[in-house]
Amino acid sequence: MRPAIHANATAIWGGRLAILAIFFGLWEYAASTRAIDPILIGRPSGIATYLWHEIFVTRSLIEDLGWTLLATVLAFLIGSISGVLVGMAFVTKPVIEALVSPMLLALNAMPRIALAPLFLIWFGLGIGSKIAIGFSLTFFIVLTNTVAGGRGVNPDHIMLAQTLGANEHQIFRKFILPSAVPVIFNGLRLGLIFALLGVIGGEIIASEHGLGQTLQILASSFKTNGVFGVIILLALIGMGITWGMTALENWLLRWR
Amino acid sequence: MRTAELRTGVDSGATRTAADQAPGPGSILFSHVSVEFKAAGVVAVDDVSLSVGVGEFVSVVGPSGCGKTTLLNFAAGLLPAEVTRGELFVGGKVPVMGNRDIAYMLARDALCPWRTTLENAELGCEIRGMPPEARQARALDLIEKVGLKGFETVYPKALSQGMRQRVALARTFALDSPILLMDEPFGALDAQTKLQLEDVLLSLWQRERRTVLFITHDLSEAVSMSDRVIVMSARPGRIIADVPIALPRPRSVRALQRDPTYHELYAEVWTKLEKGLSQ
Repeated sequence: MRPAIHANATAIWGGRLAILAIFFGLWEYAASTRAIDPILIGRPSGIATYLWHEIFVTRSLIEDLGWTLLATVLAFLIGSISGVLVGMAFVTKPVIEALVSPMLLALNAMPRIALAPLFLIWFGLGIGSKIAIGFSLTFFIVLTNTVAGGRGVNPDHIMLAQTLGANEHQIFRKFILPSAVPVIFNGLRLGLIFALLGVIGGEIIASEHGLGQTLQILASSFKTNGVFGVIILLALIGMGITWGMTALENWLLRWR
Repeated sequence: MRTAELRTGVDSGATRTAADQAPGPGSILFSHVSVEFKAAGVVAVDDVSLSVGVGEFVSVVGPSGCGKTTLLNFAAGLLPAEVTRGELFVGGKVPVMGNRDIAYMLARDALCPWRTTLENAELGCEIRGMPPEARQARALDLIEKVGLKGFETVYPKALSQGMRQRVALARTFALDSPILLMDEPFGALDAQTKLQLEDVLLSLWQRERRTVLFITHDLSEAVSMSDRVIVMSARPGRIIADVPIALPRPRSVRALQRDPTYHELYAEVWTKLEKGLSQ
């Protein structure tokens, strides 16, 4: 807003672009002079050509991107909704937590990607097994954050609520839930990234569609430019997710 | 059930006739109340008898840890039955949590950071089921009375501590409870802000003359605002003095700072408190 800061920001953006330009320039140079074998590192110009061709000409990447995003969104929705619900059940009914939390803890401690072959047997090569893997990662992250958030309610609020004669439902809706939202949001942000991770991981292992499968096919035929292209695309998606979640958080939690 | 309190002819007069015998909706009556936390091996309150009449402003002072807050918590129904002995009638009824006759104001403002000033001021009425228009009208009126007009849509993060406590005052007074229990509401404020808020509290009280039981460790605050000051001893808390404050109403806490009668009363209460501490 102030001119000094504005000028400063422009300079910083210019600097960032310069760093990227130098980086890609050196990369292109190393690959074209074969200082490093392009099979290993690809070539920026080749990566750009690949992305252009697959996004705007054959559009094959768009379709795979669609499958990956669909699986990610579904895994995230199912995982985060059930994570919040189970977490809130733990907070309001400690007996439920006492009963099931050891089992969930054991499940959570297991490296979830190890379940991927099992999910492939259960749900097949299609989108179902990818959603299952994404869900298994998202659910626990959101669950842990929801429980932490629900526990973090200010004791003064509970005392105030009691002297006002609030019932259990009111205490939950007016005090526990809103005070848990910031912590739950941290879980949701991580949960979305992990849903993407789970889906891509599943697609790499075995799949009919998706960016993970594309990546796997490209790598096994040493199409390094394509591999880098997909990786860059995934990085951009990850950044977009983080940016979108931060914007949503800033709006929802504008009281902070 | 009789308590041996000094009844005084403070000018507010007619409202407090025979409150002990016929406990009205705004009276509080402690009769030989003791509170013992057995698990911690602590006797917090020892044989306290105290009667607060309808519309009376009574302060309880005493060293920290003397069980002042415990008395309030008992009245608000926050203590489990097994730790208390003796009888307590709040508005003629035994203490129960969520009693609608009571508005409780805590030492900390307990504002919800996700609610605006207006929404925080409405919170109490909202929980007690007042219809939206009615509670908003009450909240707006009180926000103006506590001097926060123009800050209705501001979140607590943007308010100073004094302003936050003003919102808490508005939330408390928005309730139509005849009894106000206040637990050191101004304890965390600086001296200037404190004087301001004491006057705000007095002007709110002056309008409706609700019963106030006010806990504080600040003698000048107790003397300047109350009809009576109850002095408690160190733990286990017992009542060692009940001093009527015969200062005319309406009062201004700031003007009282230069009033010789006020300073005499202050010295009297101070002497009693010191005696209690040395016992």
